[in-house]
Amino acid sequence: MTMQIAETHHIAPTRRRFLLASRWLLQAAIVAVVAVLAIWLALAVREALARKGIQFSFDYLSTAANISLSEGLVPSLDGVWPVLEPFSPSHSNAQALVAGLWNSLKVALSAIVLCTVFGTLVGIGRLSTNWLVRNLSFGLVECVRNTPLLIQIVFWYFAVVLRFPPANAASNWFGGLIASRSGVFLPGLAISEDASLASWGLLAAAAVSAIAVLIVAGMRRKLTFLALAIGTVAAAAALGFPLNFDLPVATRFGARGGVALSPEMTAILLAITVNSSAYVAEIVRGAIDSLPKGQWEAAASLGLSRSDTLRDIILPQVFRIVLPSLANRYISLTKDTSLGIAIGFPDLFNVYGTVSNQTGRNLEGVVIVMLTYLALSWIISICVNTLNTGINGRGETR
Amino acid sequence: MSTAALRWARRNLFAKPFDVALSLIVIPVLAWVLYVFAVWVLAEARWEVIGGSLTVLMTGIYPAEQLWRAWVSVAALCAMFGAGLGLSLHPGRTALTVVALAGATVAAAAAAAVGAGAGTLAAGSAALGIAAWVGVHRSARARRLALPGLLVGVAAIFAVLSPPGFELWGGLLLSVVLTITVSILTVPFGILLALGRQSRIASLRVICTAYIETMRSVPLILVVYWIWIIVPLLAPDTSIPSLLRGMAGYALFFAAYVAEYVRSGLQAVPKGQVEAARSLGMSSWTVNVDIVLPQALRVVVPSLVGQILDIFNGATLVFIIGLTDFLRAGQMILADPQNSGRTYEIYVFLFAVYFAIGGAITFASRRLEAHLARGSR
Repeated sequence: MTMQIAETHHIAPTRRRFLLASRWLLQAAIVAVVAVLAIWLALAVREALARKGIQFSFDYLSTAANISLSEGLVPSLDGVWPVLEPFSPSHSNAQALVAGLWNSLKVALSAIVLCTVFGTLVGIGRLSTNWLVRNLSFGLVECVRNTPLLIQIVFWYFAVVLRFPPANAASNWFGGLIASRSGVFLPGLAISEDASLASWGLLAAAAVSAIAVLIVAGMRRKLTFLALAIGTVAAAAALGFPLNFDLPVATRFGARGGVALSPEMTAILLAITVNSSAYVAEIVRGAIDSLPKGQWEAAASLGLSRSDTLRDIILPQVFRIVLPSLANRYISLTKDTSLGIAIGFPDLFNVYGTVSNQTGRNLEGVVIVMLTYLALSWIISICVNTLNTGINGRGETR
Repeated sequence: MSTAALRWARRNLFAKPFDVALSLIVIPVLAWVLYVFAVWVLAEARWEVIGGSLTVLMTGIYPAEQLWRAWVSVAALCAMFGAGLGLSLHPGRTALTVVALAGATVAAAAAAAVGAGAGTLAAGSAALGIAAWVGVHRSARARRLALPGLLVGVAAIFAVLSPPGFELWGGLLLSVVLTITVSILTVPFGILLALGRQSRIASLRVICTAYIETMRSVPLILVVYWIWIIVPLLAPDTSIPSLLRGMAGYALFFAAYVAEYVRSGLQAVPKGQVEAARSLGMSSWTVNVDIVLPQALRVVVPSLVGQILDIFNGATLVFIIGLTDFLRAGQMILADPQNSGRTYEIYVFLFAVYFAIGGAITFASRRLEAHLARGSR
C-alpha cells in the first residue's frame, strides 16, 4: 500500500497531496462498501418480508403475549408504584422478554457468585500438598473442560434433577433443604410483619459495623466494630428481630415456603456453576503459579505456615491479577445461560424463540436479544474494570 | 516395597494435620463412589443399548444402504488425523503402541457391537491413519503435501457424503465434519480480521473491531440461529441446506475468536522486525505475509488447536437448527420408550466419547505449546 511513505519529508508536494488524497479515497471506499452491503442486506430482508406480507416493526412488543412461562417476574405498575409480579399470558410481548431476561440474570448472578467461591477453592486444591486433593481437583477440571456444556446441562437435568424423589416423598436434608423432582427448596429470609422501625435501624447499624470489621485495619478497631455489630444484633433481637428464617415445609403435595428453585433452574444453575468453577479454578491456579516462587520461600523462612502464606500473601495478589480473566469468564457464563432452551428453562433466548414463533417476528427479536447481550457484556466489563482500577490503583499508591 | 508405599503415603497424604483430616474425609468418600460406580458399570448397567444404537449414535439418520459413504469418510478422517499427527508428533514406540491399542480397542468394540464387518472396517481405517502418520513423518515431500491434502480430504468427504442429502447427516460424524470444516474456514477469515484490526486505515480498524467485539459478546446459539433464519430471506430462490447455513454461522462466530488469538500472535512479533522490513523497502503486504504472519501464526498454533475443542463442544448446539448431532442422537435413543430406563448408560457413553476426543485435542494443544516453547528457547 502507498500511505506508509507519506511521513517521509523529501517527497514532492504534488506526490504528497496525491498520497493523502488516495488515503482518504481508500477510507471513503471502505465505508461506502460496508454501507452498501448493510443497505443491501436491509433492503433484501425487507423485500423478503414484504413478499410474506410482514413489515419490519416493533409494534408487536406492546401486544399481549398469550404465552405462558414456567417462571419469571416482570416489572409492572401497581397504581403508581412499580412492582415485580409473576408473568401471566395477558402481559405484553415486551414483558415476556423482560421475564426471560430476569430468569437469565437470576441464573447468571447466582452462578457468578457461586463459581467464584468454588472455583477459587478448586484452584487452591490443585496446588494442595495433599496428593489426592490435588489430583481430584485436576480430574474434575479436566472432565468439565473437555466435555460440552450442553451435555452437562442435559445430564444435570435428565439424569440428576428429574431423578430426585417425587414431591410426596421429597428428601429433606439438614432440616432445611428439600429436594424433589418438582424443585428444590432452600431456607430463605422473610421480613416479619411486626418488626419495629427501631429494630430495622439497629439491624442496619449491625450491617454497617460488620462491613467496617472487614475494611478497617488494626486488631483493636476490628474488635471494637465486631463488638458493636454483635451488640446491635442482640439489641435488634430483643426488640423483635425484623428478619425471620423461612424454612421450607414438606407437605404431601410438595413443599412450601423458603426459596423455591424450579427443576430447570436447579439443573442449569448446577451445570453452569460446576462448569465455570472449573474455568475459574484454572484462572486462579494460573495466577498463583505466575507469582514468583520466592514469595513462598520468603514467607516460609519468616516462619509463616502454608495456609497463612496463602491467605495473607498469595491470595491478595492473585485477586489483583485474575480480575480481567474473571471478567471474560463472567461474560461467557452470562452467554451460557442461553442454553436453557435445551431443558425448557425460560431464559431470554428461549422466551425470544417462543415469542417469535407466536408472532413471526424473528428479526426484530434478534435485534433486541443481541443488543441485550451486548449491554450485559459491557456492564460486566465496566463493573470489573472499575473494580480493577479501584484495587490496582490503590495498590500502586500504597 | 511396603515401606516405600508407606513413606509415599506419609509424604503425600498425611504430611500435616490438615492433610490428614482432608485425606480421612476424601479417601472413604472416593472409595465409596468408585465402588458404587464400578458395581454399576460391571453388573447393573445394560450396555446392549449402546450396541443396538451405535449406528444412530455415529451417523444419525443417515440411510442404512448408504453407510459405505460414512465408512469412506471415516477412513479419510483417519488418514487426515494421521497426517496431522505426522506433522507434530514423532511416531516413537510408546506413541505408536498407544495409538495402535486405541485403534484396536475401537475396532474390537465395533466388532462386538455391530458385527465383524464393522470391526474390520474400523481396524482398516485405524491402520490407514497410522500409515499416514508414519508416512508423513518420514517423507519431506508428504509433509509439504499434508496441508493441501487436508483441504482435498475435506472436499472429498463432502463429495462422498452429500449425495443422499445434507439434512440426513448426523451423529458423531456430523459433529466431527462440522468441527473440521469450521476450524479450517475460521483461520483465513480470522487472520484477515486480525490484520484489519491492526490496520492503519481507521475505517477498516473500526469495522473489524466492531465485528469482533459484537461476536464475542453474543451467544453462539443466537448467531447460528440468526444466520440460519436470515440466509433464506437473502437468497429466496435457492434453498441452502441447514447444515451449510449452520456452518456459516459457526465460522462467522469463531472467526472473531481466531482473530483475537492471531492478534495476540501479531503483538508477539517484535516491532523492530516490521521497521527493519519496511526500511528495506518491502510493501505492507510483503511485510505481513513474509515476515510477521509466519512468526505470529507459529505462536498461536496451540491456541488454535485448543479452539478446535471449543468448536467441537459448540457443535452440540446444532439442535437449534434441527440437525441431529452426537448428543441429539443420544437423546433420540432415550426418547424411544423401550430405552427409557437406559438414561445413565447413554449419558456415560456420550460423556466418555466426548471426553476422549476433547482430552486428545487438549493433549495435542499442550504438546504443541511445549514443543514451540522448546523451539524458541
